[in-house]
Amino acid sequence: MSAIEQLDRTILLCRDHVSDEVSDASICQSLQSVHVLCVADAANLSSHSGQSCLTTVVSLLSRMGMQVALALPEVSMIRRQPPFQGTGLRDSLLASSDKLISGATVQEPSSKHKPDLVFVLGDSTREERACPTWRLSGSEWHGAITQGAAPVSRWTAEWPIGGMTSAVLAAGEAFKYVMRRLPLRSKVDLVFFEPSPDSNWNFGSIPVPARMLDLGAVDFISAGAISQAALYALLRLPYVRIAGRIFDDDVTSQTNFNRNMLTVVSDADLEKVRLVAGRCSPEFNLTPEFQRFVAGAPEARHMAPYVLVGVDDIPSRWQVQRCTRGILVVSGTSHFSISASCHGPGEPCCGCQHPVDDPDGPTAIPTVSFVSFWAGLAMAVRLIRRVVGASYSLDRQHLWMTPLRMDQPHAAVWSPVAPRKDCPVQCLAVSELVSSGAFASPPR
Amino acid sequence: MESVVERKFAVEIIYNGITKKIEVEAEEQVTAVLQKAIAEFHITQNPHLLSLYRQDGSLVPENESVERAGIKPREVLLLRPNAVKGGNGFLRLASDIVQRTFSTLRECGRGECECAVYWIGPSESNLVNGVEHPIHRRSPFGYEINDHWLTDFWKRLAASKHSVKAQVHTHPGEAFHSATDDNWPIVSQEGFLSIVIPDFATGEISLKNAWIGRLRGDGIWSRLAWPEQAIGLA
Repeated sequence: MSAIEQLDRTILLCRDHVSDEVSDASICQSLQSVHVLCVADAANLSSHSGQSCLTTVVSLLSRMGMQVALALPEVSMIRRQPPFQGTGLRDSLLASSDKLISGATVQEPSSKHKPDLVFVLGDSTREERACPTWRLSGSEWHGAITQGAAPVSRWTAEWPIGGMTSAVLAAGEAFKYVMRRLPLRSKVDLVFFEPSPDSNWNFGSIPVPARMLDLGAVDFISAGAISQAALYALLRLPYVRIAGRIFDDDVTSQTNFNRNMLTVVSDADLEKVRLVAGRCSPEFNLTPEFQRFVAGAPEARHMAPYVLVGVDDIPSRWQVQRCTRGILVVSGTSHFSISASCHGPGEPCCGCQHPVDDPDGPTAIPTVSFVSFWAGLAMAVRLIRRVVGASYSLDRQHLWMTPLRMDQPHAAVWSPVAPRKDCPVQCLAVSELVSSGAFASPPR
Repeated sequence: MESVVERKFAVEIIYNGITKKIEVEAEEQVTAVLQKAIAEFHITQNPHLLSLYRQDGSLVPENESVERAGIKPREVLLLRPNAVKGGNGFLRLASDIVQRTFSTLRECGRGECECAVYWIGPSESNLVNGVEHPIHRRSPFGYEINDHWLTDFWKRLAASKHSVKAQVHTHPGEAFHSATDDNWPIVSQEGFLSIVIPDFATGEISLKNAWIGRLRGDGIWSRLAWPEQAIGLA
């Protein structure tokens, strides 16, 4: 199968801004022609966070069709890094060449291709190059990328959320590099794709679980991009265990490879639930339910205490919310933005957050690897924080983020979710407000 | 001490993570501010789906002035898609709906009587895939729906999990919403659309000359400036 088909949804997203005269083939070629050099030394790869940072950035770049070169020593994999297989980190990544997107290679550095961009892990030494270079650094919950000469810290943490955060920040820069080289419909749109010399994101530092964290039963509604990104992140958390179910009635198509983080090209036509459950085993014991989630079905009678919803279909989210008695975490993407929220009993529900059906219906949805990954990562963090009793406060119940210019102060906006009188779920929060007369005047 | 209320001030609009300042006036309608923001960011992809949100997550009401909406100097507003505009308010029409609507209205009204049809579609969707022609009494000055037909119609809708998405009727000359139209829509739900076709639908098969209104939460009909604000092809 061809890269242009596999990158169809990313090309579609580029079309939000790229001039109509540019063909799909040209956009595809622009993505594939980018060469990114990833540099790391043994010290920065001696931690699980450093390794997770590297595997994640390679995966996100490859899923945009880009060419990756690895300048790093071989080290043993500290923990499993699905879908990469093997025990040596470097060899595992090299073996992924051409397997995430056709034609997206992962190779050793070659004099044939000068890198367009360089990503250096932590304080690894590197030779000076005349191309844009970022250092990727961070800690347990915090990730950063920097271009300046200021010293950055070495990767040492075991907890990998910061590593994956730094990786997704870097992947966004690679995408913007491509967009800057394409003719845009309006030159003023360039502001969205200017490089961010320094940017960072902190999910909020809380103590990391020191020992086994058994989440018990978790239901995943959808085995698509958001759920796969969330599971990709959860799988990398040390000592986390999950036993639950995953619902989806879809099979993997060529147009999924640009964002489905646990999928490789040989998975085409496989049931998504089975391939995801397989890739998550043995850490997670997920029962594949090859069916669309239906509220009235026997499977919906006993929902898990934690339910993660990654479906785009808004009425399906309402159905899941109506069946859920515990915690519901919802994440989704809209072009370059993500929306992530969490809904506990008595809190404004996902019907309050998404009160009407989406206008687009079942059309091809524009997506790109790094935006979908942000949505899944935010979902995974919300779940973990709930489980360890460190939930975000209600004024942060919803996160709207556009991860293009993460150097800007309003790239992400936290907000509460207001209960709505017209909530299609008619959740407890709304019922209580109705009975208290709080909706005597029309709600805002 | 006399307090001074600023009549002209700047607000900050965020779109795709970028912040831009926009000058607004207290008496200005929020819709005008929204249009300014859309123009400032040169947004051409589905601008009609965008709304302004406060940082507390609430929607800035578009049918108010800046002052009545409570927008303050230097307030930060988020410009982002509003599902409501695409959902209850925005209808996706199957390709033959407009043609079928005009054919029915012309055949029944014969260029001399008013006529009405209802656009229907699946309940949990904004798709319009059917045109219902009610049994009704007609005259050049109005129409009256048959009660029995209406009862049966509701039963059929419930059984098929469909709902009425919009009502469409004709006028002899100019398209407008009469007091009767205002007071007696078939559905009195916020976001419901009413469409009035001029000249007994004998003109161009298009909605561009139609009066299109959306029912607000306070029961007032708000006229839309152009059909694309509420209707698109599926």
